[in-house]
Amino acid sequence: MKPSLPSKAALIPADWRDSGSSARGRYSYAFLDEGAKREIRRKMLKAVAIPGCQVPFGSREMPIARGWGTGGLQLTLALIGPDDVLKVIDQGSDDSVNAVNIKKFVRQVTGVTVTTDTRAATLIQTRHRIPEEPLRPHQLLIFQVPIPEPLRLVEPSERETRRMHAEADYSRMWLYLYEDIVKFNEITVAARYPVLVNRRHLMDPSPIPRWDVAKLNQGEALCLFCAGREKRIYAVPPHTEVAPLSFEDFAFRVEEFGERRCGRCGSTGTYLDEVIDDATGRRTYSCSDTAYCEKIRKRGGATRPGGSGEAPS
Amino acid sequence: MKPILHVRNLTKRYGKGCPECFESTGPLRETNQCPRCLSILACRGVSFNLFPGEVLGIVGESGSGKSTVVRLLHFDFEPTEGEFRLSLNGNGNPDRAPGIDPAQNLFTLSAFRRRQVRNDLMGIVYQNARMGLRMKVSAGGNIAERLLMAGGRHVGRMRQRAADLLTQTEVPVRRMNELPRNFSGGMQQRVQIAKALSTRPAVLLLDEVTTGLDVSVQARVLDLIRSLQQELGVATIVVSHDLGVIRLLTSRTVVMRHGCIVEEGLSDQILEDPQHPYTQLLVNSVL
Repeated sequence: MKPSLPSKAALIPADWRDSGSSARGRYSYAFLDEGAKREIRRKMLKAVAIPGCQVPFGSREMPIARGWGTGGLQLTLALIGPDDVLKVIDQGSDDSVNAVNIKKFVRQVTGVTVTTDTRAATLIQTRHRIPEEPLRPHQLLIFQVPIPEPLRLVEPSERETRRMHAEADYSRMWLYLYEDIVKFNEITVAARYPVLVNRRHLMDPSPIPRWDVAKLNQGEALCLFCAGREKRIYAVPPHTEVAPLSFEDFAFRVEEFGERRCGRCGSTGTYLDEVIDDATGRRTYSCSDTAYCEKIRKRGGATRPGGSGEAPS
Repeated sequence: MKPILHVRNLTKRYGKGCPECFESTGPLRETNQCPRCLSILACRGVSFNLFPGEVLGIVGESGSGKSTVVRLLHFDFEPTEGEFRLSLNGNGNPDRAPGIDPAQNLFTLSAFRRRQVRNDLMGIVYQNARMGLRMKVSAGGNIAERLLMAGGRHVGRMRQRAADLLTQTEVPVRRMNELPRNFSGGMQQRVQIAKALSTRPAVLLLDEVTTGLDVSVQARVLDLIRSLQQELGVATIVVSHDLGVIRLLTSRTVVMRHGCIVEEGLSDQILEDPQHPYTQLLVNSVL
């Protein structure tokens, strides 16, 4: 006997079907049609089952341009339900054009609540950053990925990179890092630092800074990655080993900010952006994660509010 | 003494093949292309052994299949048929490429394992340095690539090993960080030799190493190969159409024509007293 699937209509919240407002009734719930959402969910399951492995999927046309987060948006739309609370960040900021537009669009086609508070969100779509506040088990982190193939740097052929993944032949990537050390006496990869997931697949963690790469290891939340243009989904499930490639005598290092602190909230121990004042040429630092910065400020600043974010020189 | 490397019935066919292929090609038919199905049998039914520490020569004219044989042994492409076994018991380093069974036909291994065997147990030097070296990676990096593939994760130690190998192959160590495309042809060959020796292979394959080099450089490279071979005692297969190279380097030689071995014997014997008409022609045509 065939198991009975819920009908298409039953998957859509009642108020969505009945309402006459602009987007409602004219589009499916969450924009994508049910077939598309089902395919994307299946590919996500496969990606979770093989941590770090890139799973091809039929990337849909979205009402934003390729390269503006169509991958992340498709995952968000395939996963979102009426009870979800959405947060979208772009380079750590909740207010940049990309984040605002994606948030607006998702709210239009689903009616979910949006937030800037990392703690309150159930679904976080992000570009280039992982929030400073530690994620919790029920949360989902969705990365927008420009280039999903970590080996693209060393091998232009897709066929060849697939063979390399199949055979776990990552010596070319190691060689790239080795040559980097020979030339500069350190590994100069700043973003998109290649990581080995679950001791098997080499993965591109999307262009997050090295600071955030360490947070992927044995994380609490499910991390999903999607490249819309390149049509690939991959995932890091919770409690999975994510090891950045490093040598015994050249260990992986995250960015160092020394004694510098955020000029707005006074935090140390966060990823800082350098801000140069055009008029005075003064160099200050501020938290890249604006929502976190705002939260600390509202609380009355970090533990040592007297400090300034100015650079020593 | 037991052989280190066994090759049995090695065949590589390009094309779909037909039942008449084997009958209608070979030295007797003076062709390696089947007249019926137009398949090319680059090598067919090649069998030989290689003994520990021995230097075996493979000689023959262009298109006789000698390069095909060594490149099949290096897993550069898949054979149509054949068996290839390595028995390292007592020869070479047993803790590398673990689990290589002397009875195992290496052609049936997974691609992953074949790569492991190739990297840990074999070294190859090609005629064209572009095939053996990455021209956009420094000479030291080229050597390190094999060490990295074998699991090396200490940059300092790998650089030291690369420097030692380059010294051994008479490449100035100060040029270690330069790209090999800026090197002369002879120096590129020496870097290739250093790369081939980096993982202390059990078998060294030399595919027309001195072809295309001028005579004085040829002599230096041959000298180097001979002294390294004597020093390391690595079992070596030398492919060449140059009988001078064969005379200088090898102790035993097989002669190939149209994809088949037509004569086999000690190098001196082959060069002084050739039996097969083709070998006689070959020896007589030396300038």
